[in-house]
Amino acid sequence: MRSNRTGWGLLSPTLLILIIIGLLPFLYVLVVGFFDWNVFSATGRPSWAGANNYRRLVFDSDFLFSLRRTFAFTGIAVGIEMVLGFLLASTLVQDFPGKAVFRTIHALPLLVAPIAVGATWRLLTIPGLGLVPFYLDRWFGFDYRTGSYATHAFVTTVFMDVWHWTPFVTLTMLAGLSSLPREPMEQALVDGANRAQVLRFLTIPMMMPVIVTTLFIRLMDALRIVDEVYLLTGGGPGLSTHYVGIYIWRAVLPRTDYGYGSAMSLLVLYLTIVLAWLLFIVLSRVGRQQS
Amino acid sequence: MSRRVVAILGILLVAGLLLSACAVPAAPAGEAPAAAEGESEAAAAPEEASWWTEAAAPYAGVTIRGVSESTPPSRYAQEVLAPMFTEQTGINVEFEVTSWDEMYNKAIKDMEANTGIYDFVYIEQDIIYTYLAQNFLADLTTMMADDSSLVAPDFDTSKFTSFIDNFKDPTTGDLFGVPMEAFIKVYLYRTDLFNDPDIQAAFKEQYGYDLAPATTHQQYWDIAEFFTKYGEENDMDLWGTTVQGHSGHASSTYEYFETIAPTFGVYNWGVNLDTWKACVDNGGEMNSDTAKEALSWWLGLLQYAPPEATSSTWDEVAASFAAGRAAQGFVYGENAAWIATDADRSSVVGNVGVAMPPLSEGVMADAESGAGYVGYYDGGAFGIPHSSKNKEAALLWLEFVGQESVQADWAAAGSRIVMNSTFDDPLIQEMNTKVDDYYAKMKEWGPLFRGAPPFPFHNTLRGAIDPFIWKAIAGEITPEEALDGACAAAEETMMQLGYGE
Amino acid sequence: MMTNKSRSTLGWIGVYALWIVMTLITLIPIYWMFVISARSRVQLFSRPSFIISSFYQNNYIEPLTNPTFQRYLINSIVIATSNALLVATLAVLATYALSRWKLPGSDNIFFWTITNRMAPPAAFLLPLFLLYTRVFKLGDWTMFDTRIGLILLYCVFNLPFAVWLMKGIMDGIPIELDEAAFVDGASMWTVLTRVIVPLAAPGIAVTVILTWIFAWNEYLFAAQLTSVNARTITTGLAEFVTVTGTNWGEMAAVAMISMLPALVFLIFVQRYIVMGLTFGAVKE
Repeated sequence: MRSNRTGWGLLSPTLLILIIIGLLPFLYVLVVGFFDWNVFSATGRPSWAGANNYRRLVFDSDFLFSLRRTFAFTGIAVGIEMVLGFLLASTLVQDFPGKAVFRTIHALPLLVAPIAVGATWRLLTIPGLGLVPFYLDRWFGFDYRTGSYATHAFVTTVFMDVWHWTPFVTLTMLAGLSSLPREPMEQALVDGANRAQVLRFLTIPMMMPVIVTTLFIRLMDALRIVDEVYLLTGGGPGLSTHYVGIYIWRAVLPRTDYGYGSAMSLLVLYLTIVLAWLLFIVLSRVGRQQS
Repeated sequence: MSRRVVAILGILLVAGLLLSACAVPAAPAGEAPAAAEGESEAAAAPEEASWWTEAAAPYAGVTIRGVSESTPPSRYAQEVLAPMFTEQTGINVEFEVTSWDEMYNKAIKDMEANTGIYDFVYIEQDIIYTYLAQNFLADLTTMMADDSSLVAPDFDTSKFTSFIDNFKDPTTGDLFGVPMEAFIKVYLYRTDLFNDPDIQAAFKEQYGYDLAPATTHQQYWDIAEFFTKYGEENDMDLWGTTVQGHSGHASSTYEYFETIAPTFGVYNWGVNLDTWKACVDNGGEMNSDTAKEALSWWLGLLQYAPPEATSSTWDEVAASFAAGRAAQGFVYGENAAWIATDADRSSVVGNVGVAMPPLSEGVMADAESGAGYVGYYDGGAFGIPHSSKNKEAALLWLEFVGQESVQADWAAAGSRIVMNSTFDDPLIQEMNTKVDDYYAKMKEWGPLFRGAPPFPFHNTLRGAIDPFIWKAIAGEITPEEALDGACAAAEETMMQLGYGE
Repeated sequence: MMTNKSRSTLGWIGVYALWIVMTLITLIPIYWMFVISARSRVQLFSRPSFIISSFYQNNYIEPLTNPTFQRYLINSIVIATSNALLVATLAVLATYALSRWKLPGSDNIFFWTITNRMAPPAAFLLPLFLLYTRVFKLGDWTMFDTRIGLILLYCVFNLPFAVWLMKGIMDGIPIELDEAAFVDGASMWTVLTRVIVPLAAPGIAVTVILTWIFAWNEYLFAAQLTSVNARTITTGLAEFVTVTGTNWGEMAAVAMISMLPALVFLIFVQRYIVMGLTFGAVKE
């Protein structure tokens, strides 16, 4: 009875903003990726390069290394966050004294700006200034230096990300768990299933939508992380924490290599989309099988 | 409360916020709280005050906008000089101070895209050639020649130190920037430690010569080794030297190429400026044996540096030294002053000595003849982007900060000197004694130091070389491999940009 | 899931132990930030210790009394709040439209625009800079360095997410309720405000708070697209990093200050988050 026009009318402000401010820059980046453009080249002008930037990317060993490190970082950090978040959420489903306090404190890291998170962790871990190296040395004689040892830097970035984003996972999981009906689980327990089976065959499949959504959001954000890691290690030592977001930043900003940077961005975006799509397929298949 | 009322209130709130979001911008930065220095301004003589007012009459009410790094000299310009200027000319100054990275990003984007956002920008000495190659800046000499009503009586380019030559076009000699800060990166050492008789005796016993600021690289190494052991034995937080070795930041590349390599005799980063080649095989010097020796020496010093060295940019190096954690080090001049005098920030006040960096044989001769140099002369100027829409008003601002009368107080606030007469100012003379004659030494040694080489692609080149230095610091590759890789990457980058065959 | 009866004492001890450990881990960095904010510059590199021996008030007083920082704080508040409200409003309208009408092609558009949220941000800085300085202008006014500029930009990041979140909620509100109201003679706006919004309130609350937090904490684009007038507090943090030393103490103080409004928001709206996410997520 109400015409489609009203519908489009309600939708239009949203679409307008998204297209003008969201789509146009994307198209620009898409086009620039086909050009060879460095502000400080002899000519300073862009010149057509076709797919050359993409070809260079495939052979750029530093970029591939950065990509591998980013995937490693994302996989480990997000993996820990998902498991830990689920665990914590499951304890929060019931009431116990102090629950609200624990939950609120747990959510604090979400409030800190990423740049401040990076700065705080830098202050915490830099030798001579920070707590962590001082006590590690004093109690365990352990020489902790994020500036010199790649593993230390990598592990620290994982810790920082887990610290920062686990509360997000906890909250979304909590929402999901709180809304599950109780009867199927209780019925299953009465029927003789043990807790692990209940978890595996009932709870998780029913939580699939939430799990997939949360996983997707976390993966997306972890793959493009910049501020926090940049403040913490600058991407070092060497290139060991030079995740893709930072790598692109360095191409675009100090090196003013706009063409290359744009191509890189699109390639990473493409990989992210493919990854998300694969994930979605796998998980929804698992979800369907279980039920 | 009825839903309708809530809805209306909600809409009003949203509207209110959105309107305030579009509101007229807040007051320009020039009205930031004047520090106490604002009162002690070196007031221009009345005749000159009226010159400014008159000259600026056609531009009164205009707002010029500029961007600079958030350093003490820039902050002084923002907080003290800008209000003075506005008062005398009626031209408003919106002065944005931000971090080093951000400042570059925005200035370059503005000039490249010709968007006319900024009317004056900070030009660091190392980026001027890059800007000139792209014609990013307005020619100040031409502007002043074309319109004599814009030339202030107190503005005389010949009064500046030789640093101003960095901002002139090499072929025409035209000026493109008015210097506003300059420092040399010096060798600092702890006078209390070096003058201690017990320490001197122990040193002489172990190494066979008197303890004094190092004049050769071997001496520097010995001293570093000695004090690191001394710190260990006496359970002090003391190491032998600072190293600006952040394994993921450009500062480490800079320390190696701009401060260390020249002292070994490798100039201009080892890049051949005629052919744009860097590898020895092609006529460059970046991976020469001397360069490799220099890098090994510098990386070797890491064992005698405090643990934060591999996370230290210029900030942390200064802070480490000021916290008493190093017996010697290479520190940027603008830090030397506060390390030596400001008890709020430094725990080694009064114990700081300034010396010439240790040099290899022949380097001093090269520097004196002009063929080479002994270290880094840092600093920057204000210039006018070619895209600016208020060039004349901006020019007046540049001349204002380039006046002789404002230099002394500015120098006191930011320990920077760009004008010869400032050295002789009583205020500076007095400060001089507290900083082990840093200013006098800057005046005397200035000609021996040099800024960055005239690369028309400074940041891009450095960005290509960075990873090699970082990996070497992290120990993933040897210094030799690092320089071999760096020179190859440098040549590839230069060719990609269209320089060199 | 475990029910109250089934958790043993051992289980409870485990739960408490877990939470105490988590709380400690959460608080240590924040506490450390506080410690740093209480130290003067000369004390920064002294022996690290948990105990605050003297509180250097200047680190807090300086920024709080500096008009520039006050302006940054106000800008942040205005931008974050305006953006949150704008996004919530537009999301309600948009999801209502998507839920009650069959609009061809609308799904695809959302997919393309969510790419902004998914892609590494650095490369988008240049086109946005160009758009804001060259394209969006009226005479002398450009969208560069304006609050409205940032508000609209953040819409691009937050709207797809908000729509995603709220679509499930909208779909969960039976269309029969709309129809009943129409039969009673209500206009569409009345239906929206009297029927839909109250039912969707938890979801709206979630959208508001998540959007608010994102806008409050955003750094990269705020730094690039603002100069003196619309600068936010997170960008202000970067100003502390200078050539003559990073003023970590003041930077930490400002970081702590910037946490406060967010904290107030969080405590206020916390219970809605849990309720609200339920509606959106499960109905996918």
